[in-house]
Amino acid sequence: MLTYILFMLVVGSIYALLAQSLMLSWGLAGLVNLGLAGFFAVGAYASAMLTTWEQAPILVGVSVAVLAGGLAGLLVCFSTLRLRDDYLAIVTLGFAEIVRIVASNEVWLTGGTDGISGVPVMIARDTGVWFHLGTLLITVAAVILVYVLQRRLLASPWGRALRAVREDQTVASVAGKSIVRFKAQAFSLAAAIAGLAGALYGHYTSYVAPDQFQPLITIYIFLAVTAGGNARPAGAVLGAYLLVAFLEATRFLAEIAPGVTALQAAALREIAVGIGLVIVLTLRPDGLLPERSQKAPAS
Amino acid sequence: MTDITRRHILGAGVAFAGTMAMPAILRAQTGPIKLGTLTPLTGSGGSYGPSMANTVKKAADEINKAGGILGRQLLIISEDDQTSPEAGLRAARKLIDIDKVSAIIGTWASAVTTAVVPVCSQSGVFLSTVSGAEPITLLPHQGFLIRTQPTTTLQGTKFGEFALSANAKTVAFVSPQTPFTESQFAALTKTVTAAGGKTTSLIYDDKKTTLRTEVDQVLRGKPDAIVMGGYTNDTAVLVRDLYRANYRGSLFGFGYSVNKQLVDALPADVSEGIYTLSPSPAEGSNAYKNVSRLLGVDSPDTYSCQVYDHLNLIAMAMAVGKGDTGTIIKNNVRKVSQGGGERVETAVDGLKLIADGKKVDYDGASGPCDFTDIGDITDAKFRYEQVKGGKITLLKIA
Repeated sequence: MLTYILFMLVVGSIYALLAQSLMLSWGLAGLVNLGLAGFFAVGAYASAMLTTWEQAPILVGVSVAVLAGGLAGLLVCFSTLRLRDDYLAIVTLGFAEIVRIVASNEVWLTGGTDGISGVPVMIARDTGVWFHLGTLLITVAAVILVYVLQRRLLASPWGRALRAVREDQTVASVAGKSIVRFKAQAFSLAAAIAGLAGALYGHYTSYVAPDQFQPLITIYIFLAVTAGGNARPAGAVLGAYLLVAFLEATRFLAEIAPGVTALQAAALREIAVGIGLVIVLTLRPDGLLPERSQKAPAS
Repeated sequence: MTDITRRHILGAGVAFAGTMAMPAILRAQTGPIKLGTLTPLTGSGGSYGPSMANTVKKAADEINKAGGILGRQLLIISEDDQTSPEAGLRAARKLIDIDKVSAIIGTWASAVTTAVVPVCSQSGVFLSTVSGAEPITLLPHQGFLIRTQPTTTLQGTKFGEFALSANAKTVAFVSPQTPFTESQFAALTKTVTAAGGKTTSLIYDDKKTTLRTEVDQVLRGKPDAIVMGGYTNDTAVLVRDLYRANYRGSLFGFGYSVNKQLVDALPADVSEGIYTLSPSPAEGSNAYKNVSRLLGVDSPDTYSCQVYDHLNLIAMAMAVGKGDTGTIIKNNVRKVSQGGGERVETAVDGLKLIADGKKVDYDGASGPCDFTDIGDITDAKFRYEQVKGGKITLLKIA
């Protein structure tokens, strides 16, 4: 029981990192990023390849993963400078699929669909419950670190300018803000956070494979951020933990439903996720923690 | 609805964290013995998993009716791995930590199995799988793993021999990218080139709705035979496009992809003449007839047969070891699967003999079920079939 809860909390923390990444690019900069799973994969692979095959220390692997995520974000951002909304969404979705398909097919580089097994873990596995608890502490620390960083950024003039870009590019540009620079910074930073999440995930489960980075993950995170509030770091974090709790709770609910076969239970769970989203959007369209309007500074 | 304050959230968080301090419930020595199935009920494996879960459940019911194991009933808990390693791992953790199962039966996709193996062996939970990818049994599993699916290398070799027997000189291997694509093609190539033929391979994206360009590319090499390595849905697309391209050579596919579903979905002349190869269920054996009876179908698929064998082996291993833990299953599974003793085909018969202190040797619905030290099966028979007039007809079992 304890291991299960710890495991889900670690997964929730990984999701919380991803949710914060999405909050930054989507909620604050207005860039719909359907490529989240792609950046997640880039981070996971970067760290797994370095630490498993090159025996680099995990800290180096994780740092490289953050950099790789950020660079990938910059690359995608600069190739989509003129795109917004639906068009950007399609291109980023394409990016995630490219990452997954390259990872499946470039066997010399990534090990193909076999994936990379035996990725080193952060806390020795044979320490039993400490393995989960230690990893949880590390991932929660990462969540808090990113949270504090985001709070600082949001409160700063940079955060205000970013929201101005989101609300109206033209007005922001007339006010002398460089749209491209703000978008690129936000997107790249968001991708770096997703890279961090990927690296931590790989170092927890010791296994990285293309199948883990299906678009479903992106959808889940969109669900989490929508439910929690897409323009507040606390909302994203809360949404992520709630999502994992909800996904797991449906498992037990489906089990106690009478006269339901395993297959029907699986389908019911998928239905429940959809209904959950509809309910949240109906009752709280801005999420559980909606964006607070910021007063302009006094002077 | 704006009454959710930070204080509330903090309070809930503290309450939740408090639950972690509760002592773990000790494993009960009475009550039912819990076993889990982890099969794909949704996702790309969704057409195979439901009947696998169903088979295990029904087979367990029969064991229970006959008195259970060591006087205890079996309880099967079925989870969905969604054909995804991420979701599969979460489901496995739930089975292990909440349900406290002693064994997990039926992981199907190789990627899911690879993700679940370390968790099982670390928690001392036995895992039986139907994944065929070569590296799985080479993972550090400390003996907690068996599989009844022949390795993909063996299947590749058999495909090569099958194609050669149909007088093919140039063989094209057309497949989506899967963990076994590479090893299969390597084994196929080895067999075909040894006989003076040559092979080519083409990897396609299994989510495409047409494969016309891929088909054109393959046909440029004028292959005598095409071996198809995909699953049902993408193989149907491939077969259709090959027909449209007027391909006249012979086609070979896996029995699990060129199945009744595919043949029924395509017009008879499109699927005419396709050769199929599959690990042969031991047709004619009582175990096979049992699976057929449990599922209410004439010819149950190989995966359902395999998980039926998994359950029987696990049940008898627990009876021999007089306990319900994964370690006991691990230590005793080979005592009931091989090494002489009275030949049995169901756990119900086997359990009676074991209770009388006799030795048993299980031969199952999927074959003789004898395992090497790393958990591979030692011997597998294959079933060779051909589609004729919209029906899959048996050529031979060898």
